[in-house]
Amino acid sequence: MGQAVAIIGTGQTRCGNRLDVSYPELIYEAVSMAFQDSGLSPKDIEAVVSGSMPPAMEGVHNPHLYWVDAMGAKGKSLVRIATCGSTGISLAHAGFYHVASGLFDLVLVVGAEKMYEGNPQGVMATVADPFFQRPFLAGAPGIFSLQSNEWAHRYGLEEKRTRMAAAQLSVRNHTDALYNPYAHIKVKITVEDVLKSRVIAYPVRILDVCPASDGACAVIMASERMVKKMGAKPAWIRGVGYCGEEAFFGEGDKVVWQSAIRAAKTAYKQAGITNPRKELDVAEVYNPFTFQEMLFYECFGFCDFGKAVELVENGVVMKGGELPCDPSGGVLSTNPIGATGLQRVAEVALQVTNKAGDHQIPGASTGLAHAMGGLDQFNGIMIISNSL
Amino acid sequence: MPQKVAIVDAVQTKHSERLEDNIREIVFKLVRQLLDRVGIDRSEIGTMISSSSDYGQGISCSNSYYYDAVGANHKSGSKAAEDSALAFIYGLMRILSGEYKTVLVVSITKCSEVPSVHTLTNLSADPFFQRPIGLNDVVTAGLQAREYMNLYGLTEGQLARVVIKNLGNAQKNPYTHRSGEFSINDILSSPMMVYPLREMDIASTSDGACAMLLATEEIARGLTDTPVFVEGMGWSVDSTFLGDRKLLSGPLPQAAKMAYQMAGVKDPFREIDVAEICDITSFNEILWLEQLGFCLPGEGGQLIDDGVTAINGKLPVNPSGGLLGANPYIARGLIRIAEASLQVKGEAKNHQVGHVKRALAHSCHGLGGQLHSVVILGK
Repeated sequence: MGQAVAIIGTGQTRCGNRLDVSYPELIYEAVSMAFQDSGLSPKDIEAVVSGSMPPAMEGVHNPHLYWVDAMGAKGKSLVRIATCGSTGISLAHAGFYHVASGLFDLVLVVGAEKMYEGNPQGVMATVADPFFQRPFLAGAPGIFSLQSNEWAHRYGLEEKRTRMAAAQLSVRNHTDALYNPYAHIKVKITVEDVLKSRVIAYPVRILDVCPASDGACAVIMASERMVKKMGAKPAWIRGVGYCGEEAFFGEGDKVVWQSAIRAAKTAYKQAGITNPRKELDVAEVYNPFTFQEMLFYECFGFCDFGKAVELVENGVVMKGGELPCDPSGGVLSTNPIGATGLQRVAEVALQVTNKAGDHQIPGASTGLAHAMGGLDQFNGIMIISNSL
Repeated sequence: MPQKVAIVDAVQTKHSERLEDNIREIVFKLVRQLLDRVGIDRSEIGTMISSSSDYGQGISCSNSYYYDAVGANHKSGSKAAEDSALAFIYGLMRILSGEYKTVLVVSITKCSEVPSVHTLTNLSADPFFQRPIGLNDVVTAGLQAREYMNLYGLTEGQLARVVIKNLGNAQKNPYTHRSGEFSINDILSSPMMVYPLREMDIASTSDGACAMLLATEEIARGLTDTPVFVEGMGWSVDSTFLGDRKLLSGPLPQAAKMAYQMAGVKDPFREIDVAEICDITSFNEILWLEQLGFCLPGEGGQLIDDGVTAINGKLPVNPSGGLLGANPYIARGLIRIAEASLQVKGEAKNHQVGHVKRALAHSCHGLGGQLHSVVILGK
């Protein structure tokens, strides 16, 4: 590997309906916070990596060029990275490679989305190919409900059990969100509320689904030599893994899901992790849908295939459990898509440096950040630790 | 450059008004052709970086549509959007990190399937101030050209000679879209679009794709007798609002400086043998050459007058025909790099320039050239 890469600052905006700020102002908010957190200023930065969902989300082509001044990027090397829902983790990976290549010592990474300005489901319907899938796979819930059903059917999981486990995850995420100052949906709910909430696309109910949010996230990455020079106590990037698969939903197995499995394996190998459930202290799993979160547990090796429901039932993935997941409230409570994957990275960096405030997992030293994108097509992982 | 990285080989489609194949079919055939030519299997590709545009493809998350078709199924990959030269640069960084030994870089644009590029570039202007007044790539280039004329006294004849040169060169390039022998009169009688730019001064759009294989020196030497090494690269961006910018001194000098420093180039005019430039209009070729440091500001017109940039001149510029020859909007940056590498390899055939040791490839996108990149290639 090239030079080691660290995260030395993060900034997240308050997420939700942010009609109080313009798109660039939203970016500026996150970027300013990352500078404040790191003690750096824009002049210190050498390169900027930015990205979001399809520009049709906000109706501005070339959003990176629209954000230049808000990011303090003028006169610097800038690139736009965009890989659908996995954009946030792809941004973090691109920032990592900028530094690991040896070309840059300080890189700013920015992801954002302002979903109240457009029609998110309308735009996401155009991710599906225009000929075969688009006519019947509009928007996100359709595809993820198909996957959830396939998962439950494959292992013959009892409907009552999976629904209860999903409801428990929903309650966990919504409760955790109350302790995250940046989270969007802040409501106190019970398992009963989830079980009774209306169906969006069977088996997915409204409380099993993420919102569409306005929000931005910024992360500052530094080389090992810069960390030494600054005397910082950063979060270190120990492993990166990404995998993509077939464009057509029907061509791949979405239960024993190769892109998720391979992305995790690659990252674990780099980080030297052989038993993720034991060696990880926290995981920010990309969970726009409760059922899908359980499927990810299996693909990431937190448990055997078909056994994720037990992880929930036994409290393993709950606060105080062996591997607490999404203590931030996760994607289920907050989802400005272009920022969402990067928020997972920022949240894990906060956890392993003991800066997560009210939602800190005590003693967390190594964590996993994840994002997923496309029509169940892309998965990306980053392993972050407080030591190299 | 911290480590030697090589272009092993690159392939292009025959660019045209309308490629009949579907996007997936085009990239599949192109990558197949590349792998067969190099003689390696898909399993030997480490990672893939592509470039495309969601608005420019009419499919959101544009890379998800062709990810498996380029051979990246179950591989890692990413997309550097809107300018394929940046996908090249990102691919190179992945090799420099030491994690990958080979990278596939692919880009495709089918301008025939989406609204006109003038509409799309108008959409890239901010929605409140610049979009309503109708700014787009051509209008901005016109504003630039007008300012330049006021300052330095550029003539329409000089602009026409750039068009004649590039479309003339394009006749020798089998992959290009537009070409022909034209007279100054032909150009000056084409309709005025945005003063002083006429229809023929402006690069029209094309369908086209390009695929390239990058590798570490060791791997590259095993795959080709003529590896082309990346000596330097630089990229830089300008402010969003035209009113905040100096239209005639954008971020290109900064991008060039970064690339020249990495490559150890001190006097670009003497040390660079051929250049492939993003001539979004005839005027922009002149302006970019100045900003790349090939001559002083205001002297760009002289280069074309004196035949310096002709295919047999001292500094041949766009022997491929440039964007005036073919302009697949997002793929064009990677095509410039592919063409520059052909020149270094000595495999450009009919449009080969003599004695090329070092070549420069330039790309840009955004209004008035908001984001520029420069890549220096050598033997």
